[in-house]
Amino acid sequence: MINSEAQLESKAVPLTQLSRGQIGRIECTQAHPDDCSMLRAMGLHPDASIQMCRLGEPCIVSLSGACRIGLAKDIASRVFVHIDS
Amino acid sequence: MSTPTVPQLVPTKRTIAVLGNPNVGKTTLFNRIAGIRAKTSNFPGTTQEARVAHINLDKESQKGAHNESVLIDLPGIYSLHLDLSESKVCNQTLEGTTAPTGEPAQVPDALMVVVDATNLTRNLSIVGELLAKRLPTVIVVNMIDVARRRGIHVDPDKLSDCLGCPVILCSARTGEGLHALGAMLNDAKISHRTAPSDQTGIERWAQDIYATVSTSNAELAADTLTDRLDRAFTHPLLGMLSFVAIMTGLFWMIFKLAAIPMDWIDFWFGSVGNWVAGTLPEGAISDLIVDGVIAGVGGTVIFLPQICLLFFLLALLEGTGYLARAAFVIDRLLRPFGMSGHAFVPLLSSHACAIPGIMATRAIPDKRDRLATILVAPFMSCTARIPVYVLLTAILFPDRPLYQAYAFTMCYAIGILAGLFTSFLFRRTILRGKSRPMALELPSYRMPDLKSALLLTFDRGMIFLKKAGTMILAISIVLWWLNAYPHSAPTDESIALRTQAESMVDIEQANELVAQADAIDTRNATANSMLGKLGSTFQPIFAPLGYDRQLTVGVLASFAAREVFVSTMAVQVAGSDDVDDESVLASIANATNDDGSRIFTYATSWSLLFFYVLASLCLPTLVVTAKESGGWKWAMLQLGWMSLLAYIGAFAAYQIIIAAGGT
Repeated sequence: MINSEAQLESKAVPLTQLSRGQIGRIECTQAHPDDCSMLRAMGLHPDASIQMCRLGEPCIVSLSGACRIGLAKDIASRVFVHIDS
Repeated sequence: MSTPTVPQLVPTKRTIAVLGNPNVGKTTLFNRIAGIRAKTSNFPGTTQEARVAHINLDKESQKGAHNESVLIDLPGIYSLHLDLSESKVCNQTLEGTTAPTGEPAQVPDALMVVVDATNLTRNLSIVGELLAKRLPTVIVVNMIDVARRRGIHVDPDKLSDCLGCPVILCSARTGEGLHALGAMLNDAKISHRTAPSDQTGIERWAQDIYATVSTSNAELAADTLTDRLDRAFTHPLLGMLSFVAIMTGLFWMIFKLAAIPMDWIDFWFGSVGNWVAGTLPEGAISDLIVDGVIAGVGGTVIFLPQICLLFFLLALLEGTGYLARAAFVIDRLLRPFGMSGHAFVPLLSSHACAIPGIMATRAIPDKRDRLATILVAPFMSCTARIPVYVLLTAILFPDRPLYQAYAFTMCYAIGILAGLFTSFLFRRTILRGKSRPMALELPSYRMPDLKSALLLTFDRGMIFLKKAGTMILAISIVLWWLNAYPHSAPTDESIALRTQAESMVDIEQANELVAQADAIDTRNATANSMLGKLGSTFQPIFAPLGYDRQLTVGVLASFAAREVFVSTMAVQVAGSDDVDDESVLASIANATNDDGSRIFTYATSWSLLFFYVLASLCLPTLVVTAKESGGWKWAMLQLGWMSLLAYIGAFAAYQIIIAAGGT
């Protein structure tokens, strides 16, 4: 899935902008279609709750506290999230 | 008049496919059900392996019937629709177009879908995809004990109602709920429910079901311990230090613990050889059994403890959840050299054998990434190299296990560095481009499952023994024949020594002369044998590396398979052994060449170590490289490049040691 820039809501920020412990909700992923499909099957689908556990390389996130995913910084910066207030 | 129907007398075998996401405890569950009855099989023409077990589920469920079931543990997948070899194999198995080797390809009679109670929402997506296959299904909600500890409660009746098939809550680790699994699988039925076919629809469907069947009475607390461990194990410096420390510790344990059973095996083969030599009348049959079969197979089987320990400790390490973190440490290391962490699994598999490693590169999405990994994979030290490493490090550092462990780790490191250099070079020349970024699930840290590790070790050990009992046995017999024929007549020198011995009064001195005469005849016979002549022809090529005729034969024979080097040396030195009661390893270590000097000097041992780390001595690997890369040009490039590096490495090691005054 490649979401166009137009689909991105203005408040969505790259996942890498979340600070440690901060929670967000996935808006979309802008990457190679195979990477998008894989991330989505792993649970990083639109509207999924995501918490930042470790920033940097790799970036480690927790999905609703159920599982942890490690992401290379490059791909993490292509996942866009709404930061929960 | 119609013929009455004859009841089916032959018991039918039900095929049950076990599916689920990765890291849901599927294999632990399978091992608990199947135990030692399971074996590992490959899917023909693919990288993928499955564990297969023929078991009587009725017996398991105490019903007393005797219908056998074939349980197939398929690779863990996140979705059936991903463009990955795991997903393709699962799809083909469900369609009945493929099956693990030895099993008939047929549509499974039932599906056992294992889901993780602590991550039910995501796991229900694959359930939705599998329900669409319209096959009798049972849902096994595993890790229910962990879910309960986290305050998550799953209602099995509501879940069964939502999914339209039987549901069982269990814990593969503790065994909770498993007693009812056999009966439940007999009651598997086709669900009357259907999940939406589109991805978004399935995700909403899974969320709705989770909200209906599950309650959580605790707020999810931050997992501070996991956070701290993750930060340490993936830290640029600390992570790398941990990785090096863990791997060194692993190999040190392999050397320390394997020494005792290795001595037993060595002693046993030595005793059997002596017993056969003393029992059978002298002649070709006795020589064949002692010098061909026992020396050849014994020289290989002796490494069984090391191979078992390596797989056992790696399985334990994988069970802790650490290896997924190590993949990111490796990703950081690989990226500047033009590979990504996607290459970690193929490269790690290549440490067992380059063939499954190269085949596993199918999971790498980018073509250039994939080709680079294929070319690099054979540099990783496979288990076939272990016997050679063990032999040479034992010769270099006798009775010093820590130094042996350092040298062993260094062999692995040199292979990895050569691979990185290869990737760096190729990604900037013939395979230009940037590698794809990595995404990987990090399983929870936990105590490893001892039973699963032991079963895997048993499986791998049996595969190794089968190889020693078939291919290595056959090669040993052929090599013995080439080494023993044509027979050479005693030389004038040995005849003169024997005549002199006959006229002597002092028996001790006479025996010494006879021993000298025997040694001269044996060296003469070996040099004039077919194998000796072959070695003499090629020896000039390897002379700059310090190899004599016998080592040249050992290296040439290794093109069939690397581990054949040890058995080849054992067969060659068996006849020229001056000390009858020596063990197989000591015979090789103390072997002498035609002029009576030792074959394995300090310089030749280091030279050989470099050669075996870097050389592409495996014909099947080249065939698989040609097949997977789409042409023989890549296989030939691999062979040429690795041979060049091996020759340069071995030459440099030998010449530097000699120039520094070494022997």
